[in-house]
Amino acid sequence: MDWIYKGKCWKFGDNLGIDGDVMPLRFALERELDKNILRDYLMAGVDPEFPQKVSPGDIIVAGKRFGQGNPHIQGFLGIVGHGLGLVAESIPRGSFRNAINAGLPFLNGCDGVGNDVDTGDELEVNFLTGEFNNLSRNITRQYMPLDAKLREIIQAGGWAPSLEKRLSHVR
Amino acid sequence: MGKTITEKVLSRVTGGDVSAGEIIYPEPELITVHDWYVVNFDKALKELGVEKLYEPDKVIISTDHEPVAVSPQASERQKQVREIVKKYGIKHFYDSGRGGHGHIFPVEMGFVKPGMFVEAYDVHVTNFGAVGALAIPVLIEITEVLACGSVWLKVPETVRVNLTGSLLPGTNMRDVAQKLICDLGAERVDYAVVEFGGDAMPSIDIAGRHTLCNTPIDIGAKSVLVEPDQSTLDYLAGRVNGPIDLISSDLDANFREIIDYDLNVLEPQIAIPPTPDCVVGVSEVVGKEVHHAFIGSCAAANLSDLRAAAEILRGNRIHPQVRFIITPGTQEIMSAAEEEGLIGLFAEAGAMITQPGCGPCAGGRIGGMADGETSINTGTRNDYGRLGAMKSEIYLGSASTVAASAIQGKITDPRDFLN
Repeated sequence: MDWIYKGKCWKFGDNLGIDGDVMPLRFALERELDKNILRDYLMAGVDPEFPQKVSPGDIIVAGKRFGQGNPHIQGFLGIVGHGLGLVAESIPRGSFRNAINAGLPFLNGCDGVGNDVDTGDELEVNFLTGEFNNLSRNITRQYMPLDAKLREIIQAGGWAPSLEKRLSHVR
Repeated sequence: MGKTITEKVLSRVTGGDVSAGEIIYPEPELITVHDWYVVNFDKALKELGVEKLYEPDKVIISTDHEPVAVSPQASERQKQVREIVKKYGIKHFYDSGRGGHGHIFPVEMGFVKPGMFVEAYDVHVTNFGAVGALAIPVLIEITEVLACGSVWLKVPETVRVNLTGSLLPGTNMRDVAQKLICDLGAERVDYAVVEFGGDAMPSIDIAGRHTLCNTPIDIGAKSVLVEPDQSTLDYLAGRVNGPIDLISSDLDANFREIIDYDLNVLEPQIAIPPTPDCVVGVSEVVGKEVHHAFIGSCAAANLSDLRAAAEILRGNRIHPQVRFIITPGTQEIMSAAEEEGLIGLFAEAGAMITQPGCGPCAGGRIGGMADGETSINTGTRNDYGRLGAMKSEIYLGSASTVAASAIQGKITDPRDFLN
């Protein structure tokens, strides 16, 4: 997979709830795991037009506690369904695990990243190295990339494919 | 830099030198799954084409969520669980009427040792921290542990809580454990292991330690454990074979925070709806009418809880408006309670005694509630709908508070009965 995402910035504030803001709760209750269905409802609670506006390679830049609430994976599958990346100031632990398991490339712990961007800026993010570039404003930041062991799971496409791959070695 | 108990345990099982923040694949030495997830993991394994467990001898299955099947569906599930256990060759299977609550009996039976690393499906496995084990719930990823032997873990930081002081009459460890999570708050313990120690520890028995290790998981701790000590050794003597290592954190370990906490919580504590960390002193809710009362769950189903209830119930009768259910944690506790005459005392007072296990706390499948009713109980959680009806209310307290309230038909300060 290509770890470098280049596209438009979509900026959001703090405390976006995984249920409601990022994805309607009903999909969690229905155990819906099809990212091609979930993609059409991404950010329904804060911007219902969002799924029509984004393109693969675009990057969501979020504030603190992105995906807070009862950890459900559906919102992250919706992000993956669009081929978007995520850069967040913080992600609570349950959602952090779900983002890995959904196979989403992301950077976490990016303090103050919201000050460097606005929606519409052209960004280039290397999720392998943690290098973050706002091409529109000529700002470069170096963030901590995900641990290599976690990137392996993302590389495989998330928890289920990664587990299948691991099993093929165990067998 | 020294290490915490958690870092020492995870270093040992990975054969490395690990510190908080690292991503590792540690292999648990014990794995527990309850009766309500066995069919699910079997389905997941079948879909993955897995026919054998990585190490079936490390697995304990307990029929604790629904030991007495009360529907055709439950009977069918029990049958499937028995077939699945046989198929995978799981020898540590504690079916209905055998072990009891899967967060309690493995400690009683000596499966759990200080410094052991355990993973489980269910969150309250942190009870195993009562004897100094590091037990971490992994929910549905238990499938990966069963199939491959491990799943990724970020080595958690540790928040050390030094307990000081002593309990006031009429309060017990449940009151402390409830107030503690309210006072700590979710932010401080998020993804941390809460490690208990301190001057007051020798005064807290293993049952009290179960309760202490039960509540912090509900505000987002990763696990909970008590630094093992002489009381741990005394308790485990005759239960565990072989040497026991009294593992402890180094003085210069890198704790996220060190907190002193006094056992003197002033008065009995009540968790009010809708979460276990919304905690107030009993005086704020005294007089609230109740229809349902329950003593049991992994938070408070030990012999000492039953004794505390009996002390208040002796010579009294349950209020006519209240149905009162008592679920001893395990077969061993039930048997000991019978020997002490507690079971007869409860029956005479008008309580119902159920098969050991989770009791109503497992979603209210037995002894649940109707809309508009209020319960006072010792369960683990008080979310709306936890005991069935969405429009019922649950207040949580100690076994003493529950017993006193069941007699009066309203939330009551147990100290009224202890003169």
